[in-house]
Amino acid sequence: METDALNTLVSGAIWRAEQLETHGVRPASQAWAEVCSLEEELAKALPVAEAEGRIARRGAVRAALKAGDYARAHALADGYLAEEAPRSLKTALRKILEEDAQAMAGRFRFASKHHSWREAQDLARRFREAGAFGLAA
Amino acid sequence: METVAFYSYKGGVGRSLLLANAARFLATLGKGVVALDFDFEAPGLHYKLGGGQSYVDGRRSSNFPLPAGGAVPYLIATAEGADPPPPFDEHMMSVPVPTEAGGWLKLMPAGPAPHQSYWVALKDLSDRLRLTDPSGRGFMALLDLQARIADELRPDYLLIDARTGVTELGGLATTVLADTVVCLFVANQESLDGTLTVVEALKGAPRLANQKPIRVVPVLSRTTAKPPEDERFAAGVKRLLELGEGKRGRIRNDLALFGLPHDGQLGAWERLLGGRIAGPFSPLYQAYLELFQRVFHLGAGPA
Repeated sequence: METDALNTLVSGAIWRAEQLETHGVRPASQAWAEVCSLEEELAKALPVAEAEGRIARRGAVRAALKAGDYARAHALADGYLAEEAPRSLKTALRKILEEDAQAMAGRFRFASKHHSWREAQDLARRFREAGAFGLAA
Repeated sequence: METVAFYSYKGGVGRSLLLANAARFLATLGKGVVALDFDFEAPGLHYKLGGGQSYVDGRRSSNFPLPAGGAVPYLIATAEGADPPPPFDEHMMSVPVPTEAGGWLKLMPAGPAPHQSYWVALKDLSDRLRLTDPSGRGFMALLDLQARIADELRPDYLLIDARTGVTELGGLATTVLADTVVCLFVANQESLDGTLTVVEALKGAPRLANQKPIRVVPVLSRTTAKPPEDERFAAGVKRLLELGEGKRGRIRNDLALFGLPHDGQLGAWERLLGGRIAGPFSPLYQAYLELFQRVFHLGAGPA
């Protein structure tokens, strides 16, 4: 698909997702998942050296977080961070994830007093990779 | 607060019953106790501690009511970012215990199981909250519940029913939430092999920075005779005792497993607590006392 067509679709999808979110409609997360898919397609089509390519990469990660698809957000961010990308993009991606982590720490205020969010994320990832009890490692 | 998880690789070993009785035993001794039912696929602590009430027949007494919520609805509310956090009163119940010693017992059931609304809620939870989600969100939801119980209720013990088998929630309840894991198994090779596999994994599992290594207490349950004496079984038991804690055997410095004798007539062990039925001469009663004193670091049993 042409990038112009993708851009048009992304704009429409973002508008729709924002409207659903504004009105508190629950399928907003599905709409953000659609935004994420379109941004991913754009990111594939546009090199990271181009400003639009970098915008698409940031947009894909942000949309995945808004969709509540943290696995996807982190996988996308890991992929983009592994590219030969400008430092500004890497900083921006890390900031997006960090802001999300801070919001989560606020949500889990009791656990945050005793455990760091980053440590919980690391451990969650290890258990995700190694399965229950770490038996699939 | 010490967190003790009760785990069994196979079902039908008396795990939930042991937890329910440990909870009542500790409260009778004057301890503050929270019992948490994480056996989401087959929850039943509310039957054992809930005075025989059920969500199905609607027999909810006014002075001992089952809560409308439970762990599953609580975690859903937490995942949705409930602010302020969900009130504990809606998700826990106080279980009556003899009050002379000043102890107390609260139960957070899994939810209104086996009512259909519970299974709807459980599906909703699995749709919304992946416990090992790489964001750490599901993981933090569990840690948050545990930390809130510690901060707000300040119990001496949090007892968790960590269900059977190898499941994500069972894994986290034992490897991450627990200080001590009581592992029940029965005297056959299948049960022993599975238990050994899980205990080996528990001992090597990653922990949070401020957590001590997991303490494991293997317990041979429902014993009717001497365990199998073949070499393979004996080697497995020996390995379990190397990894976990046992009791002193007949020979000095020799360790033996804790064992719970099968007692068909007195299966509902909470009736033993006051000595009303079995008294201190019941082998099961004695075995429970011995186990509880070790697991909970107690000096002596109840009078």
